[in-house]
Amino acid sequence: MNKLFDLRFVIGCFFLIVGILLLLYGFFSSATDQSVNRWCGGIFTLFGLIMLLLSYRRNTNDPGPH
Amino acid sequence: MHLHYIDYAVIALYFLFVVGVGFLLKKKIKTGNDFLMSNRSIPLWITSLAFISANLGAQEVLGMAASGSKYGFYTAHYYWLGAVIAMVFLGVFMMPFYYGSKARSVPEYLKLRFDEKTRTFNALSFAVMTVFSSGISLYALAMLMQAILGWDFSFSIWMAAGIVLIYTFLGGLTSAVYNEVLQFFLIVLGIAPLVFIGLHKAGGWEGIVHNVDNIKLHLWKGMDHASNNPMGVDALSLVFGLGFVLAFGYWCTDFLVVQRAMISHNQNAAQRTPIIAAFPKIFMPLIVILPGIIILALQKQFTGFELPTNAEGAVDYNMTLPVMLSKLYPSGILGVGITALIASFMSGMAGNVTAFNTVWTFDIYQSHINRNASEKHYYYVGKVTTVAGILISIATAYFTRRFNNIMDLLQLVFSFVNAPLFATFFLGMFWKRTTGHAAFWGLLSGTGAAALTHGLTVAEGKGGWITNLHTFYSGTSQAFNIAWIAFTVCFIMTALISLFTRPKPNEQLVGLVYSLTPRQKDKSKAWYKNPFWLGIIVLLITLIFNIIFY
Repeated sequence: MNKLFDLRFVIGCFFLIVGILLLLYGFFSSATDQSVNRWCGGIFTLFGLIMLLLSYRRNTNDPGPH
Repeated sequence: MHLHYIDYAVIALYFLFVVGVGFLLKKKIKTGNDFLMSNRSIPLWITSLAFISANLGAQEVLGMAASGSKYGFYTAHYYWLGAVIAMVFLGVFMMPFYYGSKARSVPEYLKLRFDEKTRTFNALSFAVMTVFSSGISLYALAMLMQAILGWDFSFSIWMAAGIVLIYTFLGGLTSAVYNEVLQFFLIVLGIAPLVFIGLHKAGGWEGIVHNVDNIKLHLWKGMDHASNNPMGVDALSLVFGLGFVLAFGYWCTDFLVVQRAMISHNQNAAQRTPIIAAFPKIFMPLIVILPGIIILALQKQFTGFELPTNAEGAVDYNMTLPVMLSKLYPSGILGVGITALIASFMSGMAGNVTAFNTVWTFDIYQSHINRNASEKHYYYVGKVTTVAGILISIATAYFTRRFNNIMDLLQLVFSFVNAPLFATFFLGMFWKRTTGHAAFWGLLSGTGAAALTHGLTVAEGKGGWITNLHTFYSGTSQAFNIAWIAFTVCFIMTALISLFTRPKPNEQLVGLVYSLTPRQKDKSKAWYKNPFWLGIIVLLITLIFNIIFY
């Protein structure tokens, strides 16, 4: 439950889901020129994963479970 | 502009997350202090991003792109001259007084330093201003959504207000701050691809240089006279009006942004908050101003990038970003871009509502209506104030729709009140002789001087309601000049009246005035924990940008 209070976890989840949505749409949509969605989807997914990773790293400077 | 199911899915997901943050934080918020001050426990990286995000409202995202298109790179002065230096000053010099005095708000600092009437004047004008600004933000969102997506005006109003109400009501200031950070990343990551795609389509930087008027690609060129640059300002009014008075007045005294630093977990973090925030702030022009310049290059090379005209038949520069989004983003990322726009409006609204909450509860309700109630009582007052603030915002949005000119007038009056404020703080913090009576009458005379200058000068058909003694080249120039005149009048009047009134005894001013406050020696030798060295680095980077884009 504490993990849910960690803002990095929340931001990570949001961008991971948006990134995956864009990737799926970019690869499976019939619309033309989906390279932007694929690129952005990839970057958002990576950013989301980095934030999730950071949320697991204990920051001793932080006073609470943020 | 037509959205597909994927775009709506992104918007819905964002709404789900912001509301979810409110529900998650609800359990942690138990007292008035938790609700209104986040119990001063927010980590540095969050307060820093919230600090710039509180300012990253619609005016910043849409307005700066519009200014980029209208004035070119001169708009970057609002960042590199009109923000960064003041943010460093706040962190190094002013935050020790705000944080060290244990004041819960900027008006409360005025009470401690001066007296109750100065606090009440500042608290009342700030409370009215924030709640009206929140309503104007709501109105602008609804109008934009109506124009670009065909959404019903009332639907946009109630949807956005309802979501902001849920998360601020449940999680208070902490919830607003957390969502501001999420909104920061969404705005940056949602608009940055637009810059890349736009630059690529325009032919890179070379394409920009070949297709945009050279005068719009500079910061200082043509600043010798107002007629030589698209902004219509001269270097003196720019530096003194924007760079000093308006910038320091906003970034150092506006509780909406200062509050984000005041909820840090210790003084060092509070000092570093605005300085660390200044790092991303330096680079924000790449996200918010560059699209306005790119569209100028695209207009020269392609059709379809022309901006529509407004009701008066003039080019509607506010449509710069929406036009770019609709022309360059396919479905999918378009949903992210639209969500970023909605986030910027909601961020501005939530920031105003939470600042209004704190000032109303602590500086008006607790100070004048119910002085000795329990923490729980103020917690409920804060919650009721949240609902009231949102409802007044909604009413303001509808009112603005009917009487647009009245809102312009109100914003003008607010700018008169704000213009002299930094003189009061500056003298109060750095001259122990400054008295409460002097601060109060100095503020009033500065406000009067601002109104008088507006009444005696004209720019772009506005002002001159007494007579026209001078015509400025632009409204921007008029605003900068009004600011420095108001500051100077307030400064002189406050200093003069102080000399003839009785100051507070020295022992009551410890921790509130520079000369009477013991210097805190920073035990940490690390440069990245020292506000002074961080500030120097920020200023050096800013200087380099000014030289590059001279």
